Amino acid sequence: MNICSKCLCPNPVGALFCAECGASLIPTELTTQSFRTDRFDASADGAIVSPPPITLPHRDQAWASLHLIESGHILPLADRNDYTLGRYTEGQPILPDIDLSPYQAYAAGVSRLHALIKREGKRVIIVDLGSSNGTYVNGKRLTTRTEHLLNHGDIIALGKLKLQILLH
Amino acid sequence: MNPRPDFYAILGISRDATPEEIRRAYVEAARRLHPDKNVAPGETELFLEIQQAYETLSDPKRRKAYDATLPPAESTSSILTPEVIFSRPQLVRLNEPQLIYVLLTLRPSPEQLSLPLPALNVCLVLDRSTSMKGVKIDLLKAATIQFLRSARPEDIVSVVAFSDRAEVIIPASYYRDRLRLETLVRNIQPSGATEIFQGLQTGLAEVQRAYNNQRINHIILLTDGYTYGDEQACLNLAEEAMRNGIGISAFGLGTEWNDIFLDQLAGRTGNTSAYIAHPKDIQKFLLEKFKELTNILCDEVVLMGELSQGVQVNYAFRLQPQPGPIPFHHTTALGTVIRSEGLSVLFEFLIHPSALNSSPLTLWSGRIRISMASQPIPPPPIPLRLERLVEEDASPEPPPPAIVQALSRLMLYRLYEQARQDIQAGHHERATRLLKSLAEHLIRQDQHQLAHTVLLEAEHLQRKRTFSLTGEKEIKYGTRALLLPPPGSKQT
Repeated sequence: MNICSKCLCPNPVGALFCAECGASLIPTELTTQSFRTDRFDASADGAIVSPPPITLPHRDQAWASLHLIESGHILPLADRNDYTLGRYTEGQPILPDIDLSPYQAYAAGVSRLHALIKREGKRVIIVDLGSSNGTYVNGKRLTTRTEHLLNHGDIIALGKLKLQILLH
Repeated sequence: MNPRPDFYAILGISRDATPEEIRRAYVEAARRLHPDKNVAPGETELFLEIQQAYETLSDPKRRKAYDATLPPAESTSSILTPEVIFSRPQLVRLNEPQLIYVLLTLRPSPEQLSLPLPALNVCLVLDRSTSMKGVKIDLLKAATIQFLRSARPEDIVSVVAFSDRAEVIIPASYYRDRLRLETLVRNIQPSGATEIFQGLQTGLAEVQRAYNNQRINHIILLTDGYTYGDEQACLNLAEEAMRNGIGISAFGLGTEWNDIFLDQLAGRTGNTSAYIAHPKDIQKFLLEKFKELTNILCDEVVLMGELSQGVQVNYAFRLQPQPGPIPFHHTTALGTVIRSEGLSVLFEFLIHPSALNSSPLTLWSGRIRISMASQPIPPPPIPLRLERLVEEDASPEPPPPAIVQALSRLMLYRLYEQARQDIQAGHHERATRLLKSLAEHLIRQDQHQLAHTVLLEAEHLQRKRTFSLTGEKEIKYGTRALLLPPPGSKQT
């Protein structure tokens, strides 16, 4: 038997694509995404301690920025007080404010509407919007639709896509 | 200088043909070339040669004496080069069934490409039932006239219009008296119900009347409706057409027609159905079909042979030309070979543990029989044997890219096909899941529009527990079309 790693359905030996979900059954290096976990050290209690945040060039309006760890891109959050994060697909009725599909969002398991980041006074808050693969802050999974306070330098994971929040 | 063809070549068989094969080849050749039937000059002489060949080869003693006079056999066919790619280099000794994929490609050899294009004997069989009223019939008439105008001086064309009865609008003839013939087409009026058998039967009679095995003999059926009760009669007719060297292609216009039936009908002759969403596209499809017919090198490629014990073919699918599933039997019509593209078919073999006793294991062995309009005598069949070694361990070698690429696209069509089967069996949840997977894969392959249709269809399925007529055809023919190589990538 050849078990599909995506939907766990059995396929006969020699099958190249899963008959249930169409996923490739060919072992390649490309099917799993590698994350540079070496940059995070697990502390004694198992919580993840983030590396010291990089200092940003000063951005006038931005109240926070998202640092995409894998690609190194920085996305400033400026014009509005809340941003939805997700992945754009055609024909989708509600679009995320920030489309993460250029950053391998699909492969990392980011939902179309995954999470919301908002500003309330000086506090910056993240809410999981009922994503399929969960939202994590510093390695802890958030309860869906519950507000969670973010601190400067926290590591957010949308599914497997990791971002660091930088507060200004 | 070619030496005179030997008796085997005349009958279109190989040197090791069995007495039964010799008899069958003779009967077939005699049927085509009998003096009562033949039309081209020189065919009576050909018939006499066949007669002589059969008399010699059917007698074991005379055959042996004749064989002794022959020069050593030439290498296999110089017309088509078969290429076989397996998904893995070997089978593994296992106690469970395993799959192996085979990609068979037949490419014309370069010298074949310089042969003149074949002349056509083609009949358009057009639906003129009441539902065609309005813009549909007008565009159909315009497209028909364009199709007729593209006929070359050597082509024979005919037009049949049908509803619940059929009428010959243009009898099989050269397209000379244009003004008069085009007026006949313009005068077609829609009325009546759809009975495809009526149209096919009349169309077949026209093609048969002008039949000549040095032409491409073909019927193009175009309908916008369901036919009731005469499906089996139509399929029988298609089989008769196939036996007589006449192909059938089928076009469905709009969404109210039976795609499975039209696929079966065309499939009997190694062709497939096609979906025309809008009447304004009729012309494009007809002219493309005309071009394809004139570019046919082999009008019939047939696989004849046996599977070994414990081996079965789960699935056979033609990737090009005309992507579509092929019903696999002892004798399987694979389709036509187009000059520029060749023919490629993907097979999925299922091997049961009981078959693994011998190594190498022969999955299938037999011959590829081809017929060509340019050659009144069919060329000798190409022998083919598919075999693999049976080993203890699996090879770590990745599957060949050609197979992976073909399957990654075929997988899309198969997800659709499986969803359709599940709906029929009442497994709506699974069908919905399959469609969602299909949409995900389509998005990843940048087929956003089709993905959108699939997602809408998944929604429709959850609400109504069935496909919508439009969505079903859009997805079926949309995923099929993805199997064609992208334009510009054709090999020369």
